[in-house]
Amino acid sequence: MTVIQISNLRKTFTTKRKAAGLGGSVRSIFRPQHQVVEAVRGISFDLGEGGRLGLIGPNGAGKSTTIKILTGILFPTEGEASVLGYVPWKERRQLAYHIGTVFGQRPQLWYHLPAIDTFQLFGKIYELEDKDVKQRISFLAEAFEIEDLLETPVRKLSLGQRMRCEIAASLIHRPKLLLLDEPSIGLDVVAKQRIRDTIRRMNEMENVSVLLTSHDAGDLEALCKRVIIINHGQIVYQDRVSNLKRRYLTTKEVGVRYARPIPKDFTMPDVNILKVGKYGVKLGFDTRQIPADVVLARLAESGDLVDITISDPSLEEVIAKIYQEVEGAKEAQA
Amino acid sequence: MKKYWAIFKTQVVNSLAYPGEIIWRSMAILLFLWVFTFLWRVAFDTSAATTLSGLTLRDTLWYLMLAETIELSRPRFANTIAQSVKDGSIAYLLCKPYDFLLYQLSVNAGDTVFRLVLTFIFGGALIWGMVGAPPSPWGWPLTLIAFAAGWLINFCLTALIGLAAFVVEDVTPFTWIYQKLIFILGGMMIPLDFYPPWLQRISKALPFSYVMYGPARLFVSPDLERFTALLAGQLAWVAALGVLVSIAYRRGLRRLAINGG
Repeated sequence: MTVIQISNLRKTFTTKRKAAGLGGSVRSIFRPQHQVVEAVRGISFDLGEGGRLGLIGPNGAGKSTTIKILTGILFPTEGEASVLGYVPWKERRQLAYHIGTVFGQRPQLWYHLPAIDTFQLFGKIYELEDKDVKQRISFLAEAFEIEDLLETPVRKLSLGQRMRCEIAASLIHRPKLLLLDEPSIGLDVVAKQRIRDTIRRMNEMENVSVLLTSHDAGDLEALCKRVIIINHGQIVYQDRVSNLKRRYLTTKEVGVRYARPIPKDFTMPDVNILKVGKYGVKLGFDTRQIPADVVLARLAESGDLVDITISDPSLEEVIAKIYQEVEGAKEAQA
Repeated sequence: MKKYWAIFKTQVVNSLAYPGEIIWRSMAILLFLWVFTFLWRVAFDTSAATTLSGLTLRDTLWYLMLAETIELSRPRFANTIAQSVKDGSIAYLLCKPYDFLLYQLSVNAGDTVFRLVLTFIFGGALIWGMVGAPPSPWGWPLTLIAFAAGWLINFCLTALIGLAAFVVEDVTPFTWIYQKLIFILGGMMIPLDFYPPWLQRISKALPFSYVMYGPARLFVSPDLERFTALLAGQLAWVAALGVLVSIAYRRGLRRLAINGG
């Protein structure tokens, strides 16, 4: 079954333009100037049952607008969409019974109340039986490891704890589709990983389809089976994450610090030395040419390691790389 | 309906998150009524009459007590709605299977409960001490019904102002004007009975007096005929304004452009 199917979706906004300063403000009263912004420009994709799709792109790419159209909040300017068989903007309330939503930057839990109060309220809003809600809460509390947090006012939880409660709340009515808009924003590495694990576990346990937006490449690597990269309202790339990893997430950057000073002419075969300091070195390498464990082993042989960090290329770098290829292909065709 | 009752109850609990604040805010009524008491004492003393336009000093002050209670406990969510339209947070409330307007109604009703009760207790205690016992208690349940109907009118008018944010950028001027209309034509500063007949006719026909004057006057002079006439007028306004709000909301939603999306 197809959970989401959208074709040629477009959304344009008209925004007011105003020149700087007082003069500009006065002029805009008498002769307002409008600017048409194309937030989404002809996007088509689909998501099957139990799928995990990541919508990735920089700020302003049109990810959140797409999610908001899919929840029925926004009317598209053009195009068609079907979510669980509903046309979202025409059947928003019926659709709402079957989807769960989490917006990383907008809490849905009541801020001053313990999370359990919001859970119970959602039970009423989704018209569930009291007994059912109770069972569901204890199941989710265990799955998300939030048993001890449920009775604390939400304002006293850490961001990571709150996010776990947010996602649990969005699953109270056993939705068939979970829409997550930037679920990991602002979280530290450990909290991010925990959120990703729980989302994946719920997907595997209950077969809930997941669509998430993010501008963190780590989210898609850890969580998604398929990825769509959008920029300026258009799809620039879509493929399985495994393919994307093989093709683009092949470079790693490693920074190490040693207990004793290292030689200024520090070298190592098959890697790119990016920076050499008194105690530390930063280098980049391609995992297809040299496996990570070999690099790490060689680094360890060079002295007593005090600290080590390994990072992926930023999403911006990945997109830039994909762009280069797309543009290159166009030129080759011409 | 169950879900709206649940939302209402949750908000009642939520409004108690900072009990100190709610108590202090309710005590604001003491200051206003203290000033009113002295002003009206002077007015009655100067005219040397025991009743003015059919009201005694005691009636007038109990009237003003109730009018102030209505004013201080009525929800002011026009700016909240307007803000949520402007910054796009309205979108996040729309992801749940409920009617947005009924959701707002339940939240604001829940928010009113404790403010209403506390303001009434503080204000009532002061006026009782200053001018004597309240009017006959058999009118209280009628007043409560009239208050609820007036509350709905206020809710609709405030919602209309808030929803204007779909069209205009700033609704603060409208909330300011609305408050002044409630003050003057609604009968918050002066009972409408003291106005010249032509102004009384105008203000009694407008919805503002149904929010404030109607229930407050009924409280002072409870009478079944007055109550039925008042309630009929209130329900007519609720129906008319309810239709308007729902049209404005549906129209507005089509224009919704989420900022920061």
